[in-house]
Amino acid sequence: MIKFWKRRASQKVLTEKVEQNRELNALRRELKENIHKKFAGSLAIRMVDSGSCNACEAECNALSNPYYDLDRLGIYFVASPRHADVMLVSGVVTFNMYHHLLDCYEQMAEPKWVIALGDCPLMESSSFKESFAIKGIKSTNLKIDYLIKGCPPSPDEIIKGLLEFLEKI
Amino acid sequence: MRLIARYAKECDDYFEVITLFDREKSVDKLDKKSPSMESLTAQYPSAIWFERKIADDFGISFFNSFDTRPLVHQEYFPLKIYPMRKEFRKKELTFSKYRPYQYEAIEGDGVFQVAVGPIHAGIIEPGHFHFSQEGEKMLHQEVRHFYKYRGIEKMVEEISLKEARPIIEKISGNETIAYQIAFIDICFQSIQKEYPSKLKYYHYFLLELERLIHHFTDLGFIPNDAGFSTALAYCSTISENLRRLMKHLTNHRFGFGAITTTVVTINNDYVKEMLLKVEKDIEWFEDWIMDIPSLWDRFDTTGILTKEDAKSYGTVGVMARASGLEIDCRIKNKIYQESGFKSLSQKSGDVGARFLQRIEEVKSSLTMMHAFLKKIEKYEEKIEDETSIDGDYHTFIESSIGELFMSIDIKENKIERFFVRDASHVNWQVLHTMMLRDIIADFPLINKSCDLSYAGNDL
Repeated sequence: MIKFWKRRASQKVLTEKVEQNRELNALRRELKENIHKKFAGSLAIRMVDSGSCNACEAECNALSNPYYDLDRLGIYFVASPRHADVMLVSGVVTFNMYHHLLDCYEQMAEPKWVIALGDCPLMESSSFKESFAIKGIKSTNLKIDYLIKGCPPSPDEIIKGLLEFLEKI
Repeated sequence: MRLIARYAKECDDYFEVITLFDREKSVDKLDKKSPSMESLTAQYPSAIWFERKIADDFGISFFNSFDTRPLVHQEYFPLKIYPMRKEFRKKELTFSKYRPYQYEAIEGDGVFQVAVGPIHAGIIEPGHFHFSQEGEKMLHQEVRHFYKYRGIEKMVEEISLKEARPIIEKISGNETIAYQIAFIDICFQSIQKEYPSKLKYYHYFLLELERLIHHFTDLGFIPNDAGFSTALAYCSTISENLRRLMKHLTNHRFGFGAITTTVVTINNDYVKEMLLKVEKDIEWFEDWIMDIPSLWDRFDTTGILTKEDAKSYGTVGVMARASGLEIDCRIKNKIYQESGFKSLSQKSGDVGARFLQRIEEVKSSLTMMHAFLKKIEKYEEKIEDETSIDGDYHTFIESSIGELFMSIDIKENKIERFFVRDASHVNWQVLHTMMLRDIIADFPLINKSCDLSYAGNDL
């Protein structure tokens, strides 16, 4: 363990310097203030992949790496819809996921919101064409409160999207 | 022999079932009125998903099969609909009445079932795992997938290669470079041109970069599933750096649209500096992580995939190599051979072996990337407007998970049949054999150590 700390100390900062990304820092501050005001400091997100290519999931996972560290701002990806304020939907909503997606939404307690992530759910600029195996989120009649565009949206874009969602509601 | 794939296609008067092994290929012609044939499952257990999928897609039945349940067509899918037949042209289906799925389950005194998924507790793709438990001990597990089934094989039929490209590159986001390379290889074959080695250096460089990103993500997540989250913080920083490098090179963090017939000049010094930094990072990481006994207590002897099972299920990729099977598409590739490729493998086949295999592969990829980098130069060629020659083309590529097989049948410049077999499709099927010595709390760790794709498997 001593060996570890000696070597760790020699490496200094592993990510970027704090002052390097001013824009992101300003976003973070606003995001934290909004979550503090509107969600008592904790926004719980239930992520549901309804048939994506896994890139949106990879970017959501990247949100918890030391560069972005979303937990610090009070945003948590939770394990159950019962704990969630927001359902974050990625993917095209396949025939096989349709009912499971709706089950998840029904299990969430009010008040609840739906955010669509990426170009897939609305199928507007998605590469995927009409298919017998794809239903699309429109067919579910879920009310989409906000759309975070991108294929996939980068971690920065997801943070911006969440802020805009918070300002809207 | 190793079974690579079994798939069907519809011809004018008959169905064709193609069975591809590593050493031979057989084609069976079946009558359209009542298509049926002998199952391969007695000899090749991983034939079962291929055959169940053919049955769902084409309505071809297999006799002497131990499992005839639907695979892709789940509870609400209408009966007697065979989407891969040419006569099926519907763009929308309505849900039929709910039909329960019969899970493989062990019953008896004190034995109970644990159902997990399709929606999991973290940020993960959807899939279902069904456990038969005797207390903590796993007696049996069934892996049930195809929740992400988007009908991609049908979607790309009757369109041109150019139109199919954006769909094919987004089949599996983590392996997009591999899918794009397989696709461009087939494009070159179809116009009867050689895939220029000047392009290959750049493409293989990106493929190894994709492998680095994927492996570093796993090197973080595997310890995280054993309760050691510091490793995730460290490795996710490195994979973020590498994603940014991918963005720098291709203008996209995953490399969507990156594999074209053009190579622009890249800033070699900057890239080289990044690679040297990662080399130091992995060295430091290895030195640190090998010295944590409580972590290795979880890794060693957990989730053993025996060499025999790996062989009989036709396992490929990192999983096969960690169990001592040296299966790697890069072995026979001349450019890889010239660039310092070494075939690597482990013996024990446990979580620890798969973890070590990834560390070794990262180091080996870095060596090759330096060699590729020296050879990357500006190049431009246009092939988009050329007419494809009718025929059946196929290719193999080593994605970050394992061997990827892609086959495209082209007729009059349109795709007649598209088939792809992700490494995950065979590897998922062997997963249940790895659970028998462990308790259910080990499952997430075992599953993560394999890190298979759901999107690439479900199509």
